[in-house]
Amino acid sequence: MRRVSLRWLLLGLVALCPCGLSMMAALDAQQATSPAGIPRTTDGKPDFTGTYQWPTYLPGDERGRSSATVFDRKRFAPLKPGGEPFLEPRTGDPRRDEPRDFCMPAGFPGGMLSANAMQFFQTKNHLVMVHEFQRMSRVIPLDGRAHRKGLEPMFYGDPVGRWDGDTLIIETINFKRWALDDYYYTNPKEYRMHSDALRTIERLRWKSPSAMSYTLTIEDPKIFTQPWSQEFEILAKPEWDKDGLFEYVCEENNRCPGGKCPEK
Amino acid sequence: MKALVSVLLALAALAGGAGPAAAHHSFAAEYDDQKPLKISGTLTKVDWMNPHIWYYVDVKNADGTMTTWAISGGAPGQLMRRGITKDLLVIGSTVNVEGFRAKDGSNNGFGQRVTYQDGRNVFTATDAAGRAPQP
Repeated sequence: MRRVSLRWLLLGLVALCPCGLSMMAALDAQQATSPAGIPRTTDGKPDFTGTYQWPTYLPGDERGRSSATVFDRKRFAPLKPGGEPFLEPRTGDPRRDEPRDFCMPAGFPGGMLSANAMQFFQTKNHLVMVHEFQRMSRVIPLDGRAHRKGLEPMFYGDPVGRWDGDTLIIETINFKRWALDDYYYTNPKEYRMHSDALRTIERLRWKSPSAMSYTLTIEDPKIFTQPWSQEFEILAKPEWDKDGLFEYVCEENNRCPGGKCPEK
Repeated sequence: MKALVSVLLALAALAGGAGPAAAHHSFAAEYDDQKPLKISGTLTKVDWMNPHIWYYVDVKNADGTMTTWAISGGAPGQLMRRGITKDLLVIGSTVNVEGFRAKDGSNNGFGQRVTYQDGRNVFTATDAAGRAPQP
């Protein structure tokens, strides 16, 4: 009963201030009981080493038109006045409208949501996420270090991880302004761009011995009035281990950059 | 032939939805969903390379000349994870391809649906979630 009351108190705080969100997350992590049989490292931490499907939707969430995962618009927080560049109008210049068409990086979180296999490697002090799409690799320190300082904004940002019980929390900052996801597929008039103020929080935990809960929180104070989150599922794919990840060199045969195709 | 059916089926599944599955770019950057493509011809060549495979279909025109169409598909890694390798694609087979033309009007396109010449559906393209293709 006491815990229920505390939850309602925190729900009230969420309504009043953004700080309630992190308090709610902390409570959720405490309450989340890991199922028996999940992989663990020798020091008892959940072990995310393995091969996985890309993050996929939970039932009921809006889906995009390609197999790449996109965010459900219903999850978005309201746009701030001046946040409209998020839905950037097309300029007609493909290098500006769709730089990925020239094999520029998809960035994070967009690249993470692409429909390709992923492989994670975990040590005591690092989690390395390798995504087959563009061979995106993220090296996430787990040793409690702070974000690096003095770096230029990056496509994939600067991540650091920490444990909250059995939940791994990854905070990433220092992004370039770039595509948020692949929503342009669904509506070419809306090219979802995050700003350089983007801060992402990922929460990763085993919800069964073969599936992880993966929650992405988007904080972009230049665009949204408050943070918002969407939970996805990451399925273990041990049957993909025998082949591992395949090469992905985008420049190898990118035949139609900017929509300009050669005649054969 | 059975192998070709399997391959085309898998290609179709990867090409499900309105655009290429997990393309490195948005569909609308290269293809025009207002310009449908429907061709029949002979499979002549396969480029098994990233970021998408391309396969080439020779189409005979009414005047007896030949037009070669280049059709885009999924990424090699996605195909191979489904057990599909380049050597399963049989050059010389006759295929019907439905999809969308490149925005620049060239003889390039994106393949969404493939059938045999007798009209039999090789597949109904669906994406990873099992949804039918959308226009």
